[in-house]
Amino acid sequence: MNEEKEVEEQSKPLVLEKLEEHHADSLLAQDEARGTVVVVVHKEQVYAVLEYLKTDPELAYAFLVDITAVDNSQMESELMQFDYARFMIVYQLYSFQDQCRVRVRVPVHENDLSVPSVTALWKGANWLERETYDMFGINFEGHPDLHRILMPDDFEGHPLRKDYPLRGRGERERFNFDKQNV
Amino acid sequence: MGLDFVGRGVEETDGNIITTTIDKVVNWGRKNSLWPMPFGTACCAIEMMATLASKFDLSRFGSEAIRFSPRQSDLLIVSGRISIKMMPVLKRIYDQMPDPKWVISMGACASCGGVFDTYTLIQGVDQFIPVDVYIPGCPPRPEDLIDAVLQVQQKITSGASPKGVEVVV
Ligand code: SF4
Repeated sequence: MNEEKEVEEQSKPLVLEKLEEHHADSLLAQDEARGTVVVVVHKEQVYAVLEYLKTDPELAYAFLVDITAVDNSQMESELMQFDYARFMIVYQLYSFQDQCRVRVRVPVHENDLSVPSVTALWKGANWLERETYDMFGINFEGHPDLHRILMPDDFEGHPLRKDYPLRGRGERERFNFDKQNV
Repeated sequence: MGLDFVGRGVEETDGNIITTTIDKVVNWGRKNSLWPMPFGTACCAIEMMATLASKFDLSRFGSEAIRFSPRQSDLLIVSGRISIKMMPVLKRIYDQMPDPKWVISMGACASCGGVFDTYTLIQGVDQFIPVDVYIPGCPPRPEDLIDAVLQVQQKITSGASPKGVEVVV
């Protein structure tokens, strides 16, 4: 029983093996979080990696679960790891074939907030990228219609950034009923 | 039911004749057939639905004719969180309701923002529309909503104007 377990723990997940084989120079780091494989990928190659994960017949991570971001500006330990990149874009994928997940993370510097859009791979990425743009101000290049999705169009700032005050900047007390297009 | 307003400014004489004022009769009618406009944006709306359904049965109090058009309703029930993007919609719906109209602010969120003291949430709809009855709770029980409807009814019977109407004397 114990031996079996050890063998299981030691064997490398297929997705890591294949990524190392085909996209070794895109991988910045790899990790495992509660049974999910986590890979950190260089921004320039993220589209290629995601496309590979989706289309490779052995992997078939065909389902895009979520796209979001993390603002690490107050997490010194995270910042140090990836050359003080403030944001981490997170793609969560699921494979119906193997019933397992993989998480792809992409560090993004504040002075260059653009990453390629994956709307060409998954139509469902459209709204997820709009949400990430709305909340964090990440610019998804090649997105067909990148504008706010949750906040009103005339809202200023990106509320899930850590430097955005929790109670806002007075938007909830004063707004113009005439200006809003209801 | 019929003559439950006898005694409050309404006199019953011998036989089948009663004397009263137009206001009293109209208010009696309004009171017993409030048509609510539900504005359910969050969890409180689930309790509102329960109140309307068979178990709590708001129709016992004459208020079961839920209208999804503000132009046909006279009681606005705000049940749930109102975000800054939703507030103009709520204001517009309130404005579209014909007078006289009453407003119930159901639950902590609608009344004061509740636990969501954040950038996106209106901290009490009464900053922007007049509220007649507030219901505390997160969520309030259906009995609380029924009580609020009864309080609106009381207000109508007493002849008080709705909060949103300016009385010209
Ligand atoms: S008061 Fe509580 S139950 Fe009602 S909308 Fe707010 S959080 Fe939900």
